[in-house]
Amino acid sequence: MTTATTTTAPVHVRGLVHRYGTHGALDGVDLDLGPGVTGLLGRNGAGKTTLLRCLATDLEATNGELRLLGRDPGRAAERTEIRRRLGYLPQNPEFYPYFTAFGLLDYMAVLKELGGRRARHDEVRRNLDRVGLHDRRHSRIRRLSGGMRQRLGLASALLGDPEVLLLDEPTIGLDPEQRIRFRGLVSELAVHSTVVLSTHQIEDVAALCQRVVCLDAGRVAFDGTPDELVDRARGHVWERDGHPGEGYTAWRLADGRYRVLTPAGVAPGDTDGLEPVEPSLEDAYLLITGVEEGRR
Amino acid sequence: MSWHLTPAQAHEYAHHRADEVTAMSVEAHITHCAPCRDLLPADEDWLARSWEELRDVVDRPRRGPVEALLASLGMREGTAKLLAATPALYRSWLLATVAVLAAALLAAHHLPRGSLMFVFVAPVVPLAGVALAYGRGVDPAHSLTSVTPLAGQRLLFLRTCAVLVPALTLCMSVSLLLPSAHTPGRAAFWLLPALTLVAGSLVLSRWIHLSAASAALGVLWLVALSVMAVSEHAAPIQLLLPQAQVWWAGALVALLGAILLRVRTA
Repeated sequence: MTTATTTTAPVHVRGLVHRYGTHGALDGVDLDLGPGVTGLLGRNGAGKTTLLRCLATDLEATNGELRLLGRDPGRAAERTEIRRRLGYLPQNPEFYPYFTAFGLLDYMAVLKELGGRRARHDEVRRNLDRVGLHDRRHSRIRRLSGGMRQRLGLASALLGDPEVLLLDEPTIGLDPEQRIRFRGLVSELAVHSTVVLSTHQIEDVAALCQRVVCLDAGRVAFDGTPDELVDRARGHVWERDGHPGEGYTAWRLADGRYRVLTPAGVAPGDTDGLEPVEPSLEDAYLLITGVEEGRR
Repeated sequence: MSWHLTPAQAHEYAHHRADEVTAMSVEAHITHCAPCRDLLPADEDWLARSWEELRDVVDRPRRGPVEALLASLGMREGTAKLLAATPALYRSWLLATVAVLAAALLAAHHLPRGSLMFVFVAPVVPLAGVALAYGRGVDPAHSLTSVTPLAGQRLLFLRTCAVLVPALTLCMSVSLLLPSAHTPGRAAFWLLPALTLVAGSLVLSRWIHLSAASAALGVLWLVALSVMAVSEHAAPIQLLLPQAQVWWAGALVALLGAILLRVRTA
């Protein structure tokens, strides 16, 4: 890691590079994140999970500068201090199936050095309540559904009200009611905490995030507010009655019309019947991450 | 009971001035009479604290036998929990260890040069346990636990202890039952090589995955013994003779020094 610069942002990243062998997953990422929810978007393989694992101190970056809560995760003592104040929900978390929900959170609370037994148990109960698992607290994890396990992972990340909360695909497997509950919970935490949410669920980003970072091939392709991202898509989203033909990203809507995306610098070949429409966040995301990979 | 408490009776009872018969009568009455209960002053904070404590006792998860045993031996509650909660593969390893050691014991008693099997496996048994104790790929919840303050060396050493104690106990028990074991000192010929291999794998885990480090050292041990077994000029037992034990002890001290240095400089 290079020499640190002075920063007050809870998450400070400069020129972060990570390689798996010869494959570059992150290629010079620059970010400063503060309290609030930041949505991390990008195609599969764009580097979202690698970036989150670096931020979670689970993975050491190959190069670049990283400061979390003003500390250097490259130093063991500072890394431990960071981990006391950090919550992380990995993608597809796995558990010890023979543990109960309460037992697992209690075990995680010991690993997080959360107080004596009573205080720890109170914190475990509070977080089981928060994710709606209080009634299943004494159920073995192998008897919980996928959505319940996902909520258990979330409860584990929330233990101790972390100042930096990193969530990798947190809403996978949650039903609509639980997703609304999740959004309320994260919004509440984000008043004081820095929350980074990696997801493919654009509606979660629209509902929760004050800031969006799009990664493409390990680099930051966009960094701004959701409105700024949508603004970029203006003039590139259309609707027409029939399919515009090969070479466009287009998909059929429920009313039978086609939604068409044209990237910047590409003029529509067949303008007949193309009507400009207000772009959505999803349109903007597809345009920023490369329409050639979008829906056809 | 047809009567109700007067404010004077409630005051007498609350200040412990009611006689024993009246106090018992009042207690029986207020258990089912809310208005009379309300006449008595209540310490709400104390009640809340008591209720929380009661709730915690009733609602806390039941401790497993290992955790309860460690706690009864005076170990801190959190440490006992961490030592008892080992990855799922640990149980499979324990079963496999019992089976392998039982086979080694049978071989030692019923086959010519059968004790050689125990010589081969005893130092590898703790090593196999350590290989399965910590890290990605062997610990299902590693992605959750690896970013906690106790992760890394502290959890690694705790898990190693959790493996070493049963492994060494089992190996020592079997070695005492070997036909060649006349004294506990002679029966412990395998101990220093076993500890040295474990310490070696912990040192190597700084650079490579713990499982890979343990596997590499285990294979090295078995290859060395096999080569000596087929050689005309050497025998596997030479690795365990008193002269060799001095070398094992030296290597163990050096490796423990390296581990200590690693912990201090971390």
